Amino acid sequence: MNFVVALVVGLSAGALYAVIGVGLTLMSVLTRVINFSIVAVGVFGAFLSIRAVPLLVQAPPEVRTAVVVAIAVLVAATISGLLGWIEATWLAEASTTARSAVTVASLLMLISLSFVLFGSRPQPLRPLLVGPAFVAGDIAVTKVGVALLITAVAVAVAAWIVIRRTPLGVQLRAISDRQTAAELLGVNVKALQIGVWVVVGGIMGLCISIIGNTGAADATSMITLVIPGAAAALVGAFKSLPMAIVGGLLVGALQGALTAFPSITLLRDWIPIVVIILFLLWNQRKEVWDVAR
Amino acid sequence: MSLTITDVTVRRGVGPVISGVSLEVRPGEITTVVGPNGAGKTSLLEAMSGIVPIAAGSIQLDGEEISKTSRRKRSLLGLKHVEQGRMIFPSLTVRENLQLTARSKKDFDEAMALFPELEKRVDSLSVLLSGGEQQMVVLARTFAAKPRYIMIDEMSLGLAPVVFLRLVPVIRGIADSGVGVLLVEQFAQLALQAATDAVVVTGGRVSYHGPATTLLADEQLLRTSYLG
Repeated sequence: MNFVVALVVGLSAGALYAVIGVGLTLMSVLTRVINFSIVAVGVFGAFLSIRAVPLLVQAPPEVRTAVVVAIAVLVAATISGLLGWIEATWLAEASTTARSAVTVASLLMLISLSFVLFGSRPQPLRPLLVGPAFVAGDIAVTKVGVALLITAVAVAVAAWIVIRRTPLGVQLRAISDRQTAAELLGVNVKALQIGVWVVVGGIMGLCISIIGNTGAADATSMITLVIPGAAAALVGAFKSLPMAIVGGLLVGALQGALTAFPSITLLRDWIPIVVIILFLLWNQRKEVWDVAR
Repeated sequence: MSLTITDVTVRRGVGPVISGVSLEVRPGEITTVVGPNGAGKTSLLEAMSGIVPIAAGSIQLDGEEISKTSRRKRSLLGLKHVEQGRMIFPSLTVRENLQLTARSKKDFDEAMALFPELEKRVDSLSVLLSGGEQQMVVLARTFAAKPRYIMIDEMSLGLAPVVFLRLVPVIRGIADSGVGVLLVEQFAQLALQAATDAVVVTGGRVSYHGPATTLLADEQLLRTSYLG
């Protein structure tokens, strides 16, 4: 495959990693949690929404699509909100490690449940957008890739505006800084944190609906997209939204570039892990041995 | 009308850190709680604001029982807790710290008027301020919320005495505006001078409860109370 074409194809996948990275970064900054189940709730929402398709055969295609996507967003937001409620109710004072560990438990629970509900067979989840957005020579950029990149940038910009320019953002930053102090001033910490979970869950439901089964068709394969997403978030140190987007595109581009070399193309699945390890090594470069330990 | 706690016991770990403590804070007055390190003063305030639950006793805010009320609800009822350690929000500017609690521009302006020296730093990140300025932000932020009662924990911690001297008249002014103030301090002399009532807590129990002037005038009594 032409190297540039492979790179662009990789960037399309990278756009999805970017959205996941942005979602993970938002949750880390605003709710003190690394949410390992972030993709799983989106997959659940999207896969459950397929069950509504037979009920909508009489409806016009546009209405059917809109309803299915709305169900996906709603289900994902609800599951995510439920997880957020658990965290905010019983783990409000817990450390980031403990809060994140709970999301690993919920991830495992959702994987188990996906086997029960969807099995291991591919699901007929049609992508929301089909075909190329534009073609330049040999290079075709898919609508899905463009839509996901726009989503990633839009979410990051919207989050920046809300966080930096609104009274709600002042409250969100306050609870991010000192949760108990904010609560003692009357800030509704629990509602705000659950709100963040709901919004991020809804975004994930939308993104999985956009890509459909173009990336992977079974639930478990889709859920593991959280790994490259985490690599993207790590590039921004789980703090920077723009760097999470850059990280996602970087991981996707590297994966794409490797497919241009058939002898090593299987190594593309290692890219997220390599990025994670490189980031951790880079992050530790100035640590003094005894201080770091 | 008062913030009243009666026979409050607080347990942490295996045993009680506060046993059967009672006190009253009236609007417009300062009640000072003094005592040695580890006496349970901070635990007492944390129990009153709802950070830790009480094991026994009652907490009443203007006649309403609030011992089972959430810490947020207590705050919304007008009970504000200024924790020790200058709890600014580092990622917020001075203005945003105050906007977090001020319901109107009038509330914001009145709070800023307490510390005119903050005017020139109003758009600076609060984490970049000096320790004294950060404590001013915390006090102004609390006052901007128009509280009925303020509980201030170890305001002098980590501050130069001259800075503490700057803050005490402001607290006096806040009390004069009708707010009940519960001041926990190790800087006993200065805190007692500003107070109407004094409570000495030693080993989780009250060893003195009475007029602050009596305690100030009798050094032997103060020393005896400190030793329990």
